[in-house]
Amino acid sequence: MNIAVKIGAVKFANPVTVASGTFGHSEKYYHLQEVKKLGAIVPKTVTLHAQTGNPPPRIAETPSGMLNAIGIENPGADVFIKTKLPALKKTGVPLIVSILGHNDEEFKILTEKFNAAGDISALELNLSCPNLGKKILAAQDPQAIERIVKTVKKISRYPVIAKLSPNVTDIAAMAKVAEDAGADAVSLVNTFAAMAIDTKTRRSVLGNVTGGLSGPAIRPIALYMVCKTAQTVKIPIVAIGGIMTADDALQYIIAGATMVAVGTANYINPRAPLEVLAGIKDYMRKHKINDIAQLRGSLDHG
Amino acid sequence: MEKLQDVYRIISNEKICPKFFRLCLDAPSIVNKALPGQFIHIRIQESLQPFFRRPFSISRAQKHIEILYEPVGTGTHLLSRKKKGEMLDVLGPVGTPFSLPPKGIRQVVMIAGGIGVAPLLFLSDILKRKYELVLLYGGRTKGHVYDMKEFKQNGCKVLISTDDGSVGVKGRVSKLFTKIRPDSQTTFIYTCGPRPMMASVQSFARGHKLRGQGSCEEVMACALGACLGCSIETRNGFKTVCHDGPAFDLNDLIF
Repeated sequence: MNIAVKIGAVKFANPVTVASGTFGHSEKYYHLQEVKKLGAIVPKTVTLHAQTGNPPPRIAETPSGMLNAIGIENPGADVFIKTKLPALKKTGVPLIVSILGHNDEEFKILTEKFNAAGDISALELNLSCPNLGKKILAAQDPQAIERIVKTVKKISRYPVIAKLSPNVTDIAAMAKVAEDAGADAVSLVNTFAAMAIDTKTRRSVLGNVTGGLSGPAIRPIALYMVCKTAQTVKIPIVAIGGIMTADDALQYIIAGATMVAVGTANYINPRAPLEVLAGIKDYMRKHKINDIAQLRGSLDHG
Repeated sequence: MEKLQDVYRIISNEKICPKFFRLCLDAPSIVNKALPGQFIHIRIQESLQPFFRRPFSISRAQKHIEILYEPVGTGTHLLSRKKKGEMLDVLGPVGTPFSLPPKGIRQVVMIAGGIGVAPLLFLSDILKRKYELVLLYGGRTKGHVYDMKEFKQNGCKVLISTDDGSVGVKGRVSKLFTKIRPDSQTTFIYTCGPRPMMASVQSFARGHKLRGQGSCEEVMACALGACLGCSIETRNGFKTVCHDGPAFDLNDLIF
């Protein structure tokens, strides 16, 4: 059975990865032998300079989902490369490093730093960053997507994945912009802008007032977006959005996704990515599918 | 390394006073590893409602793993309906435990508000006979007071206050601060409870130059230090309650 997938020239042993920011301290809490089974690991987004993150409360539970406004808390690229990257490399699992620059120059410097760090399989561009001078995110501005992808692509040693925001009118059109700018893949979706209010205090439940919604609550919408994008671009899609089980992941693959990232489910069931992987294999065996490519985009439009 | 997450059989799940429950789990692998101040993260049921796991301080780890809880929201109400023999999906033990009293300490004062008493029971099991133990317990009403016989069996002196005066001294637990004779060299504080209560304990400790530890609670998702969702502000910057805590140096907490 062939379940290997490719992004750019890089091959991954299987299509299952984890969404950025959802898989930490792997060395402490997981069996290394189990972690090794993952297709790739995406560590939490790294910025050029350290970020302390948003004021608490940072998360809240919502129906079948989770609101978060963490604020990309991270130690900055240099500290990450020195203190966190070695342990991640040691797992032997391909790493997709998620980077976020607050302007084109920061994206460029981040790319150079990870070029120098070596042993990385791909870079994921977190485009849900403020778009300087405008009140929208880079991921909401086709010109910014084009500029950032071109800037990184020009110098990156690694395949480049543009992570798209669902908070746009037409995410497939944004994916096409990323593809035309040279992206090797797109990942979608990031969280949906969302909030919840405590009626007792009439305050937002989040310290940051607004946040992003993830989890099974968003899955049908994210699936629609992946399906539409798969019909628009030729580059691989990394699907993200409320995957809890293998069946959820299979829906995305049938819709056209090349890889699937388990995010919020890691918080509920740390074994979710491995269960998803095992379930995909079971499904292929049962349906006598030898190559995952046969399954990819096999949606019967009837 | 043993499994961090597993399913365990419920030995008992009983009301111990009008407001509190005690749940016992047959979980020898957790018993073997657990330290006071650590917690377990329970998936209440295999459905999307409630969505998050729920964290509970370990209140005892002898033959079984015990937790004390007060049904207040969806998760704890569902938990209170679980029957003996049912299985529970549990992750743990996780979290940074209480640090033990430093050298020179003779008296340990534990100050609890409501169900915050839970981790202090486990602590008293470990500290008994080595220190003079005192528990100052504040509950809202007599419904929030249980017999505390394990504390007493551990040689711990128990003083109680209730907001409505139905048991013990009337008023907040801070009313009991005058009942102890603290000494900055030989007294150590452990506290767990609502934030305003812990704030009053911190100012009492600072006033008497007492060292101590506080156990914090926050809404949690992963419990593994991954999501950074349960971060609180401390004098050392943002720290996760699940991984850097729940036990912190009392003086580092910001209320």
